[in-house]
Amino acid sequence: MMTVERVAKKVRSGERLNAAEALELYRRAPTPLLGELADGVRVRKHPDGIVTYIIDRNVNYTNVCVARCNFCAFYRPVGSPEGYVLGFDELFRKIDETIAVGGIQLLLQGGHNPDLPLTWYEDLFRAIKERYPAFKLHALSPPEVIHLSRLSQLRVPTVIDRLISAGLDSIPGGGAEILVDRVRTLLHCYGKATADEWLDVMRHAHRAGLRTTATMMYGTVETDEERLEHLLRLRALQDETKGFTAFITWSYQPDHTELGGLEATGIDYLRTLALARIVLDNFDNLQASWVTQGGKVGQLSLGYGANDMGSVMIEENVVRAAGASYCMDEVEIVRNIEDAGFAAKRRNMHYDILGDPIFREREVPRMLELATARAEGDTSVPEELLKYAARSQAGKRLRVIPH
Amino acid sequence: MNALPVTDAEITALAATHDIINLGMLADEARRHRHGTRTTFVRVADVAAEPGAPLVWPRSAGEIRVVGAPSSRSAAIERVKEIAARASGVPVSAFSLADIEQLAAREGVTLRSLLEELRAAGMELVAEAPFDQLPDPGRSIEEVNISGLALARLTIQQLPSADVPALLKGVARLQQAVAVIRAFAPLPRKLNPAVPTTGYDDVKRVALARLVVGNVPSIQVDWALYGPKLAQVALTVGADDVDAVSAEDQTTQGPRRAPLEEIRRNIRAACQEPMERNGRFESLPR
Repeated sequence: MMTVERVAKKVRSGERLNAAEALELYRRAPTPLLGELADGVRVRKHPDGIVTYIIDRNVNYTNVCVARCNFCAFYRPVGSPEGYVLGFDELFRKIDETIAVGGIQLLLQGGHNPDLPLTWYEDLFRAIKERYPAFKLHALSPPEVIHLSRLSQLRVPTVIDRLISAGLDSIPGGGAEILVDRVRTLLHCYGKATADEWLDVMRHAHRAGLRTTATMMYGTVETDEERLEHLLRLRALQDETKGFTAFITWSYQPDHTELGGLEATGIDYLRTLALARIVLDNFDNLQASWVTQGGKVGQLSLGYGANDMGSVMIEENVVRAAGASYCMDEVEIVRNIEDAGFAAKRRNMHYDILGDPIFREREVPRMLELATARAEGDTSVPEELLKYAARSQAGKRLRVIPH
Repeated sequence: MNALPVTDAEITALAATHDIINLGMLADEARRHRHGTRTTFVRVADVAAEPGAPLVWPRSAGEIRVVGAPSSRSAAIERVKEIAARASGVPVSAFSLADIEQLAAREGVTLRSLLEELRAAGMELVAEAPFDQLPDPGRSIEEVNISGLALARLTIQQLPSADVPALLKGVARLQQAVAVIRAFAPLPRKLNPAVPTTGYDDVKRVALARLVVGNVPSIQVDWALYGPKLAQVALTVGADDVDAVSAEDQTTQGPRRAPLEEIRRNIRAACQEPMERNGRFESLPR
């Protein structure tokens, strides 16, 4: 007979759990036991006592989106006066600011904007690489790649190859939500990418030599079994490709969304994180989501399986739109890591250690709140957009009306 | 139950540990031994200390709390009187014991006489006694007791510069002496936004409080000050009582996001049973 204790014993001895065992643990194990087991797995994988973080900037190049996921408070429909596309110069300025605080990468994601063709992305990536050859582009989640595939009528591998040629370095795991089509249908995100399609993009990316991350947004309409199915599907793909560098989970943020509802609690977060650490035995790295849970629960994540404090971020737009607005600069992230008894080290997307905290090497301005994509009221349209053909009527009008 | 259930050496070792899981489990065990799975909470309506300020509070309040420092003895008494007259049996708590003590000194009266006047005006509880701000906490709390008032909670105003175990042992010794402290809120009331406490700090402090201050029945966490996420975690590492839940019933975000449902949901999600109480620690069957 399966009991929590038996399952716990399996985890302690490093054995892989099946779905039923993992579910038993998730549903019945006391929270401290889940934490203890997850922490044990973390110690086995990271016996050096190091907790990493990355200095990069989380930029959303456009908020215009045709996907219309009902859990998203960030997007604006085509033609909305609040819709924006960042210009190349704005992005260069953001990169300059990022480099100034020791940043090495942009996490670049955005809406499914029908008026930004594949060539816009290619030109942007090339322009960035020309100006900042060593700067990394961790860009375009699987649904964005699928969107570009549909828009350009090119196969996903071709789109990925072209983006790599233009300068894409790695792919973030956004848009996974829950990789179960029943859930995706209810969240109105089945159209942007089915579970299989999301996984296929990652498979193609891994085959093309890219490393990617994987994510899970829980706490909407899914069941415990479906959270687990999500993890098991990621584990299976990781067995196949070994292409994921890290896993990040966060709770759905309900404010200002069409779906509404409640946010899962802090304990639910810690339990889910711990479960992920236990089930995803082939993932080396788990990030803490301080941006959704706040610094305190973010730090406590280090006791529940996380070995990475994620990104300094510098800028954040999506979670803020749904009601969460936490901020941690490098000083604060390092203080939290060290206070928890770990050594803090900077890393890159591949989890190579880059060094000690940058603020201990040189003076870096403190950051007390995260920046936004644009200043409020800025409705400017980037000049270079005129070079690219728009598909929507609203986009076409913007191309001819001078701003 | 022993006032100091763990040895000095054990307390020192626990205070230095980064193993929050095992520290939390120890504290949780102590909490369950005393309270089982029950977690109490109180919905509090804050009213300002200035006389004449609006006197409006939701009917669901389990405690009406006068917040802010009183400007004078007469203003304090007047304010308590006008609130108590409308309280309809809901316990009225008021002021910090440190502020009352300072006021008594300013006005040249004894602490006891001022407390007795406040009691006569309708005050039932001193809202808080900040352990680190009272020159002689034992004597001050005795005065509260002798004057017929109760103490809503013992608090810590600021992070101590000295070590936390010493502070907690001091609280335990205080309770050995006075025996009237019903609840202790070990997390600091005054937060430094430039260097906020960390999650580990807070969890360790709550857990240590449960283990060291075993002679105070309730270890309390402030819902409004610390937020749902940290407060909920605190319930799994030794805290058994939640203070300062909003008494507001109305919410623009629907009844499921009203404070009452939110606190109950969070307590249940921590695998505990919510029980609403009032300021007198009486269970409220709602």
